[in-house]
Amino acid sequence: MSARPQAVPRFTAGQRAQHLMLIISFNMLAFTGLPQKYFQTGWAERIIALMGGIERTRLIHRTFAVLLIGEALWHLVAVLAARRAGREHGDMGFSFADLQGIIGDFAYLLGFRREKPAFGRYDYRQKFEYWAVVWGTIVMAVTGLVMWFPETVTRVFPGVIVPASRVAHGGEALLAMLAVIIWHFYNAHFRPDIFPMDRTMWTGEMPLARLRHDHRAEYERLMGAEEPPAS
Amino acid sequence: MTSVRWVSIVLGVLIAGAALVAFAGPAVAQDPETCLGCHTAPGMVLTFPSTEVVSVAIDAARFKNSAHGQALTCATCHPKNVEVPHPAVTAKSLKDYQRIAAGVCASCHGEAVAVFAASVHGRAQRMGFGDAPTCVTCHNPHDASRVRTAAFRNNLPQLCGTCHGDPRIMQKYGLRAVYQTYISEFHGVTTTLYKLTKPRDPTPAAICTDCHGGHDIRAAGDPASRVHPGKVLGTCQTCHPGAGRYFATAWTEHATPGPRAAPLVWYVQLFYAVLIPGTVAFLGLLTVLDLGRWATDQIRRAGKS
Repeated sequence: MSARPQAVPRFTAGQRAQHLMLIISFNMLAFTGLPQKYFQTGWAERIIALMGGIERTRLIHRTFAVLLIGEALWHLVAVLAARRAGREHGDMGFSFADLQGIIGDFAYLLGFRREKPAFGRYDYRQKFEYWAVVWGTIVMAVTGLVMWFPETVTRVFPGVIVPASRVAHGGEALLAMLAVIIWHFYNAHFRPDIFPMDRTMWTGEMPLARLRHDHRAEYERLMGAEEPPAS
Repeated sequence: MTSVRWVSIVLGVLIAGAALVAFAGPAVAQDPETCLGCHTAPGMVLTFPSTEVVSVAIDAARFKNSAHGQALTCATCHPKNVEVPHPAVTAKSLKDYQRIAAGVCASCHGEAVAVFAASVHGRAQRMGFGDAPTCVTCHNPHDASRVRTAAFRNNLPQLCGTCHGDPRIMQKYGLRAVYQTYISEFHGVTTTLYKLTKPRDPTPAAICTDCHGGHDIRAAGDPASRVHPGKVLGTCQTCHPGAGRYFATAWTEHATPGPRAAPLVWYVQLFYAVLIPGTVAFLGLLTVLDLGRWATDQIRRAGKS
């Protein structure tokens, strides 16, 4: 009888590399983008002067935008390849179980039930965050490219999409930053049982004890497939 | 001998008398140093019958370094004022005075003055609108900055904005105060940031005069205007050579987006005005609930042990 593993694999090396690329590009884009949104403030002026003026700031911003788009395309290709190879089972997709999960989680958080609902591989919070990143990246890439190439875009599309893109780009950026600060930082860093950080995205593994608590359905599926947990 | 002495005495007296008369008459000021002997006193003003007051004190250093100070003397533009005391000013008001002064400008800048006269501003001036600018509204003759400098270019929107950013002035002519919409628009952001972070470099983004023209500015509805609907795309293409046929409609015409002006922009604004606080509230609530459950568990556990 083999010794039971203490942790289960959760993210591949490629997925972790994508996450690292996302961290770098997201932060650099926020750092070079926020002062462009709030250009009339003193701190924006200092950051832009530090980077050598607005043209250079835009160049840095666009460079990291290309990195982010590249990462997004890599992710898309990797997901399609995993599907084709049968390694991907739509774990990120929303289902009726998520609605039950949300209701159950609220009941648990409010003290109406003892146990956390039995979440699958990804719980509704993680799915919500994942799809928010997908949506956000699409919005930012499309609106950013419209502003980068307005001359070409307006050969086909009405011009009003250029100022509309500018508003959407700033709004979506603010939404993404606030979501990361509140949501991602809480769930991956400041949650009292996780603080200072969830190491899963770095090691690629999740300890069994946490899997059992946070993703019980997934834990049971994995354990059932191997051997019953020792009592 | 005696007669010869008398002749010389009489001649001497006559010469001295003529000299006295000449010097006792109106004094003549010819060089700027003489003028600046008085005209550097701060608070020195000229009051018009309209009760308007204009400063006639000159900053000597700025004048000397200005485009005019290096080539002209005071008398070049103020020929009558070589007499001291100066002849009375005939202008009834400050605008009146400035309009007369345009004739002085024309003696060197004839073409600019002629072009300006045909512009919407020149026309408004002839029609007697008090707010219409004259040469000196935009170009201070005593501190004439070179218009081809970065400083002049980067500050130009603000200069136009002194009138075109003031709704009280603009509403009299059925115009909108457009300065603020320029500053918050893409070109205005670039210009503002150049002014703040790279004042020595001229902004590459369009400023007011790039689209509307300077001395030759016309009303936007005038078919000869560079921003008339028939011409505006061509004006855009001077900087954006590859601009597509719908490019000009990317410009929201200095309008603040609303349900009628650029509605798509307005709906996007509205969408995020709802989505951002909504999302923050929902995520914040979940975080607070999560922390609350954790804290309750801690307290319960502490109570049991």
